[in-house]
Amino acid sequence: MPDRSELLEFAVDRANIGIFALDREMHVLLWNRFMADHSGKESAEVIGRNLFDCFPDLPRRWLEKKVAGVFLLKNFAFTSWEQRPYLFRFHHGRPVTGGIDYMQQTCTFVPVKNASGEVSAVCVTLVDATDTAIAYRQLERAMATVRENARCDGLTGVFNRRHLEERLSEEFYRSRRYGGPLSLVMLDIDHFKRVNDVHGHLAGDEVLRIVAARVSEAVRASDIFGRYGGEEFGVILPGTDIAGARVVADKLRELVSGQPLAYKDVGLEITVSCGVAQVAPEHTTYEEVIRLADTALYRAKREGRNRVCA
Amino acid sequence: MHRDALQEVANVAMGEAGAKLAELLDTFVRLSVPRILISDAAEVPDTLGKLLEPHNAVTAVRQSFLSRIQGEAIVLFGEAGCAELADLMGYDGVLAPSERREVLLDIANVLVGACLGGVFRQFGLELGFTAPSLLAEDTPAQRLIRADTLDWSRALLVEVNFRLEQGAFSSHLIVLLPERSIDRMRESLDQIIAAL
Repeated sequence: MPDRSELLEFAVDRANIGIFALDREMHVLLWNRFMADHSGKESAEVIGRNLFDCFPDLPRRWLEKKVAGVFLLKNFAFTSWEQRPYLFRFHHGRPVTGGIDYMQQTCTFVPVKNASGEVSAVCVTLVDATDTAIAYRQLERAMATVRENARCDGLTGVFNRRHLEERLSEEFYRSRRYGGPLSLVMLDIDHFKRVNDVHGHLAGDEVLRIVAARVSEAVRASDIFGRYGGEEFGVILPGTDIAGARVVADKLRELVSGQPLAYKDVGLEITVSCGVAQVAPEHTTYEEVIRLADTALYRAKREGRNRVCA
Repeated sequence: MHRDALQEVANVAMGEAGAKLAELLDTFVRLSVPRILISDAAEVPDTLGKLLEPHNAVTAVRQSFLSRIQGEAIVLFGEAGCAELADLMGYDGVLAPSERREVLLDIANVLVGACLGGVFRQFGLELGFTAPSLLAEDTPAQRLIRADTLDWSRALLVEVNFRLEQGAFSSHLIVLLPERSIDRMRESLDQIIAAL
């Protein structure tokens, strides 16, 4: 039977975490199997040597301060992969990880006290947190996708109605508080039902996609464009008055109407009508602006389509 | 009597902690005289709000300490002066958001260790710590802790203000002890009083 100290030595050496110890001058006092296997340096190569001579890549100034703090304050210290992904450049043995370069590490620095209570060494444990980090990053990516999906329209890829209304609401209150004009363009594809009836729903979908793509490319970076529903789109124009909004709407109308849309071998002549409205002091909610733009849009339809009304 | 004794223990500990932090950071630091409050757990959020500017958003780091007496330390930071302190802690250049968080975790750990270490040394107790973690970022002080998530009825709060003599950095350390640990602390204080 191994005795207790043999067992302890074995446990420290073969534990599936990194364990090493440093003196005040950063000389290595202990270097277990895990550290040797992952660093490629056997304990005989590093013990008695300065840690930074063995591993010049380590963040020296920071780590010296950290260890000095443990000696001086007789206190634990910690590092987490969440803020500092790694101390040592160890490979993580998971080649298919996407974006994680080295083993993610969580470390605890423990003061080793002698009989008189003085700190004589610092013992460091290093835990491989790569699996946690990978799971966490996958979760973050999934969350980003969910957030993206929640605000985008599945067919056209532009913002959906909910996001459009959220942004309009924000811009509405910003404009009321800080001043500055705010306009809204509602844009509707003319005779969209006819496209669906004559060419089929797939053609209708393609028309929506092409119109969305053309408008997306044309709007300014500060404008917010989305699909309001059906064949109706909305463009929020912060910092733009009604005259400017008319110019934008007319440009968008020409962009869609001026050139036939290619669907299979057919060129579809598509036109759009636009209604434009600007936020006025008497408006108390953003919905009133939508209503106003919608009214203008119906007038554009009544007056013969393929035009802009304000 | 217990309260006076604890105040004395805390004063001594903060004196030591201040000297050590000054040595570590190589700058003058100010630690306030600790304020000690016993509070109903339900009132802890409000009490925190009152200790600080209630409407100011704070960033908070929490860390558990383990011994015969267990509890949780919370360090609250304002925005100002973080970069200066980061330099003193051995960080170089402009801080990325993750580095800023690491600095705050580091500072919290050092502060908690220095202050509590002194208290527990006087009690003759070895102290262990869990890794610090971020409790909240830019959150109003009274919303840091929800009363209904505390699983004890009374809490002891010890509040210490830490700031650098030069520069804008300042933070608050708050130590929360649940009821059971309050009883054990009373025992430790009894021993100190008896030894006087």
